[in-house]
Amino acid sequence: MSLVALADPPAVYVDGAAMDCLVIEAVSALRASSAVAAARATKIELEMAQAGFVPPPPVAKLQHSSKDSVGSNTARPHSYVDEEDEGVRSRLEAIGLHVGANYAEKLCRDRPLFSDSLDAIKFICKELWVSCWDKQVDNLRTNHRGVFVLQDNTFKPLTRISSWEGRAETLKRAKLAAAFPAGIIRGALSRMGLHGTVTPEITAPPHCTFQIKLPKNT
Amino acid sequence: MPQPPRLNAVALISPQNHPILIRTFQKGDELKYHYVAHTSLDVIEERTSGKTKPTECYLGLLYVMDDVAAYGYITPLKVKIVIALALTDSVVRDADVVMIFKALHMAFYEAVSNPFLKLDGVSESTADYSPYQAVGSMKWKRLRQAVDEIHRALCAYAP
Repeated sequence: MSLVALADPPAVYVDGAAMDCLVIEAVSALRASSAVAAARATKIELEMAQAGFVPPPPVAKLQHSSKDSVGSNTARPHSYVDEEDEGVRSRLEAIGLHVGANYAEKLCRDRPLFSDSLDAIKFICKELWVSCWDKQVDNLRTNHRGVFVLQDNTFKPLTRISSWEGRAETLKRAKLAAAFPAGIIRGALSRMGLHGTVTPEITAPPHCTFQIKLPKNT
Repeated sequence: MPQPPRLNAVALISPQNHPILIRTFQKGDELKYHYVAHTSLDVIEERTSGKTKPTECYLGLLYVMDDVAAYGYITPLKVKIVIALALTDSVVRDADVVMIFKALHMAFYEAVSNPFLKLDGVSESTADYSPYQAVGSMKWKRLRQAVDEIHRALCAYAP
């Protein structure tokens, strides 16, 4: 292979509809997978308890006694999906992390160096958003102290989500569908050396905002 | 007809200045190029943290030592690539060197995207999740092979 071909490899294309379909189906596939994993974990725990190696698991967990206060709830990045979906959410986010991190590596191949963290966030709003979700972010707000709010009025992963069971169910599904994009954003940020938290907020799909909190001194 | 630049060694260095891969194409000179990579890091540090920050990824000629010239490149994600070219009388064009760097960057990108790297990663915590260490280890051949292929292509390449 010639050096030119190695330096500038030909682009590989994927059918857009097929890609959409795979990303949508990933949620339900991972739900099945995490259900199996959770069942296996409980089974092992039960066997261990029966054999007397570990104390028996508490029968009924205290229902969110510590999470009742609204103030502490919003600060926690993991509290935006209820417990049963937590396994699916963390899997989706882990995949997103990997995808985002490496995709950022590819996207920034022909671009100059980042000057500061705002530059990096702009890169996410423009290049990453366009190549992942076909449009730019509609609105970017920042307090210039490490908090950025990215707002997208028609976020592509959420445009096709609906439920016959009503609004609450739609919201629940939309929140799961936003976990993968949140992972992509966090992964891309982490490769740029910015280790922050990314919290998706959905009030009326397909409208979606992502709040990015970066640690101070970046 | 100008000679193609002769590649003596390639060094990939992670954003935290851990060596990812140091590949030499001359027998018995490995230690020398480890030294070259180390010295280059200081020069890169100086160039990138100075008052006028560079906007280009390509840092150009870093320094010349004996019979090798070290060139540097830093990706926007802060992965540093250093190559050592043999010092010859023929002119080395920047465009050629940039192309070598782009090829190396692509090779690195393709190797590091391997989803199986993470499976035996040292730390599971996602905050400092870094496949950089794993990709250059002896266990994974992809990056090594890609770098070797670039070396081969360069030997056959006539500008």
